[in-house]
Parts: sequence; C-alpha cells; structure tokens
Amino acid sequence: MEAMALRVGVAGIGWSGFSRTTEGTSYKELMFEAARSAYADAGVDPRSDIDSFVCCSEDIEEGTSIFDEYVPDQLGAVQRPVQTVASDGLFGVATAVMLIRSGVASAVAVESHSKASDVVSLGRVDRFAMDPVLNRPLGVSPTALAGLEMRRWLHVTGRSESECADVAARNRAHAATNRRASYADVHDPTPLFDPLTREQTAEPADGCVVLVLTTEERTPEGSVFIDGVGWSQDAPSVESRDWDRAAAAERAARAAYDRAGVEPGDVELAEVDDTFAYKQLQHLEALGLSDLAEDRVNPSGGALGEGHLREANGLARALACIEGLRSGDARVGLAQSWRGVPSTSAAVAVMRR
Amino acid sequence: MSPTKIPGELSVSFRYTPGVGNTAFFEGLRDRAVFLGSRCEDCGVTSVPARIFCERCLAELEPSLECGPEGELVSWTLVRVDVDDQPLERPVTYGLVRLDGADTVLLHRLLHTGGEPAIGERVRAVFTSPREGSMLDVEGFAPVADGAGP
Ligand SMILES: [Zn+2]
Repeated sequence: MEAMALRVGVAGIGWSGFSRTTEGTSYKELMFEAARSAYADAGVDPRSDIDSFVCCSEDIEEGTSIFDEYVPDQLGAVQRPVQTVASDGLFGVATAVMLIRSGVASAVAVESHSKASDVVSLGRVDRFAMDPVLNRPLGVSPTALAGLEMRRWLHVTGRSESECADVAARNRAHAATNRRASYADVHDPTPLFDPLTREQTAEPADGCVVLVLTTEERTPEGSVFIDGVGWSQDAPSVESRDWDRAAAAERAARAAYDRAGVEPGDVELAEVDDTFAYKQLQHLEALGLSDLAEDRVNPSGGALGEGHLREANGLARALACIEGLRSGDARVGLAQSWRGVPSTSAAVAVMRR
Repeated sequence: MSPTKIPGELSVSFRYTPGVGNTAFFEGLRDRAVFLGSRCEDCGVTSVPARIFCERCLAELEPSLECGPEGELVSWTLVRVDVDDQPLERPVTYGLVRLDGADTVLLHRLLHTGGEPAIGERVRAVFTSPREGSMLDVEGFAPVADGAGP
C-alpha cells in the first residue's frame, strides 16, 4: 500500500497533571514536565532533534491574547519552527503527520494542555463561543445544546437514558485503575440540562500531553504508528448543523480508515470522546464501532474518568490508545476527539503496532 | 492576595455586525413580526435566519422567504443551572424549532405552562412588543394547542 511508504511513528509520549487542580504549578511548568517525559521516552534532545513544534490551544481559555507566543520556551522550541493550531490536540497530530509526510520535518512534538483550574469563569468562556448575534443574546449555557442533542439522539435512535447512565458508570469503573483519572468516584444523577445529568458530564481537569512523532526511520523498533488521520466539521451554526448524528465524526473516521487501509472491524481498542455519556454511544456509531466489546471502549475511563482537558482531550485519548497498543493489548487502535459544545469539529487517528 | 494566584480579568467590548442576511431577518422580526429565510433552489434548502450565501453550494441567496410563525419542535431541554453552574431558582425550557417552510432550526425558549413539551409537537412563535430587531423580539415558542394561535 502506497500510504505505508511514509509511515509516522510515535517515538515518545509524556504527560503531566491529570488532576482536578494543579495548585502552584503553572501551565508552562505542566508543559515542561510533559515535554521532558516525552523527549526522554523518545530519547531525543529537543534543541537539536525536533524539527517542528505544534501546540493546540485557544487564546480565551488561556486568558492571554496571541497565546501561541507563550509556548516555545517551556518546550525547547525557542528560535525553532513553532505553530499553534486553534483546535483539539488530535488536529495537531494531523498537522504533525502532514509535516512529516511532506518532508518538512522528520520529528515533530505535539502539545496540548488544560489549566482549567486557572479559569474562574469557565462557563462564561464556553458561552462566549456561542454565535453572538443569534444565540448568545438568549444567555443560555452552551451545555444546553448537549441536553437538546441528547434528547434528539435518544428520540432518533430509540436508545435509552439508562444506556447513557451505564456508559458513565462503566467509564468511571474503568477509571478506577487509571492513575490519570481523578473522577472515578462520581455518582451524581442530578439533572443539569434534562435529560443530561451531572454524572454523565465530564468535569474540568488540568493536565498536559506531549507526543513526539517521527518518520519511520527515526521511530524505535516496536513503536506505535499513526497510519491514518482524518478531521472534519459540520456546519457550526446551531441553526443548520445536523442534529440527528455526529456527521463530522463520521467523515473524519472515513478519511482516517481509508488512509490507514483499516476497516472498523479491524479496530481492537477505541478511545473516543465521552465529554457527555451519550456522545460516546453516538461517536461509536459514527465510527462504525457500536459492536466493539465494552471493555475495549475507553478502558482508560475516558474524559468522564480523567476529566475534561479542554483542547488536550484528543491527546489524552491518543495517549491512552498508544499505551494500550504499546502494552500489547491490541494491534489496531483508534482515538477520536470532538471539540465540545458548541462545536461540531471531530478528528480521528487510526494507529497500529 | 496569595503569591500563587494572580488575578486577571478580560473586560473587552464588541459591536457585532449581523450582516446583510441577519439584518434583513431582524428587520422582518421588528417591523412585521415575520421570520425571513433564504431559499437555495439548487440544494432545495431553506435557511432561517436569512443569509446571503448557501453553506452547501456557496450560491448567493436573497433574504426573501417568509417561514413560520408555526413550526415543529425538534428537541427540548430543561436548563437547571446557569452559566456559572449554579442552580437556577426557576429552570428554563429551551427548544429547537423547525419553522414551517424551513429546513433549519431556531434555538429559543419554550413557553409551555402545562405539561412537558414533546418532540414533533406543533408550536407557535410569541413575539414581544415593542420590538427592537434582535432574537429577543421573540419571547419564545408556545404550544399551538394552548391557543397561542391567531
Ligand atoms: Zn445551495
């Protein structure tokens, strides 16, 4: 297969935080810690061995305009090629894959983080993402969109609220053995945006993930390879988006499967977006993975177990998937992200070991 | 103040331009209490609010087609917490309404006073008076069965 000629491998992984707060540690220090681990894991010196750095962040949730100016020093990227993708971390993985496969770089560091505990008014940051002309004047939290979508999805598919509650319970049970999970013990059926409940909603966490991606020649023996990436958006507007399905995730998955030469039936491990419990079921449908055994879906506990890491959610899913593949737990794995309300952005990475 | 937490605040202001399409929509609400949409004949899709381009084929559109004021409830939710995650004293119901003649939905309050809303239910816009040309010219949508009709 032609696509296999230019494979992109995962040479190193690193992470920091993954807790409800990271009191006393700045986002720069979270990034430093995760980057140091990833470089050590890959056996590289960032000052000489990494050709390009890709960060994924959004100015307003960092509390700084032009936030991309603030990322180089703690990554070893001063006076080097650095760019910020204003989206979820899996979009950064896609960018790194393009940099490597186009020959621009042979080793790329991808970073994303959450320092949600620094944001006093997190809900207001999210509300500021609503269309200022048509939606924001109503004053409603964008999480209401999840309540609306969940009810619509239950109606269209005939699935039940108790199936969604089961997802939340199962992911939190999976999280019990994950040292990065700080929300394994949540049992709170309080309704927030009916039918959406608190225990079916991922809660904010701090953390950082760094991946070192390299050409096949520079990837150590036995590594995990990212053989297909795909990303897509639906119409972003509340008015014209597809309310019946995760259309963006469907298209992202199709592209990633095709590029990897993989069919859904080949996938043995899936780490998928579960920002809300119903989204896990909806995303599995979109990925063609509804029949995948329950213990092969988000064995990490997902965002319900680890917490919601903002733009680092996709890298958290990728990290868990890479670890699963490295452990020999599976040969083909998939990581998927969604950028959360009110967005319709989704990305998918298909991996092999 | 603790040396481990330095406070910061973002106090910036905006005046957003709704654009030609949305302005026509708001003028329709304000002056005639109608919902103005745009039809793309090539795609067979009518978008409300009005817009000057089709997002599917990128054709140029006219804000020219009236939709509603009745429509069908596509989904609804009961909002129990505010934007700061604090419980609301009085929960508010929001819905997605596909107006008659439209292929898109509007997000707005539901004004149900009796039983729960139901997907597929017929609803009708309730307009405020006076109106100033914004989404808040619509108070919300009420069940047609409630006698909110003309
Ligand atoms: Zn069109």
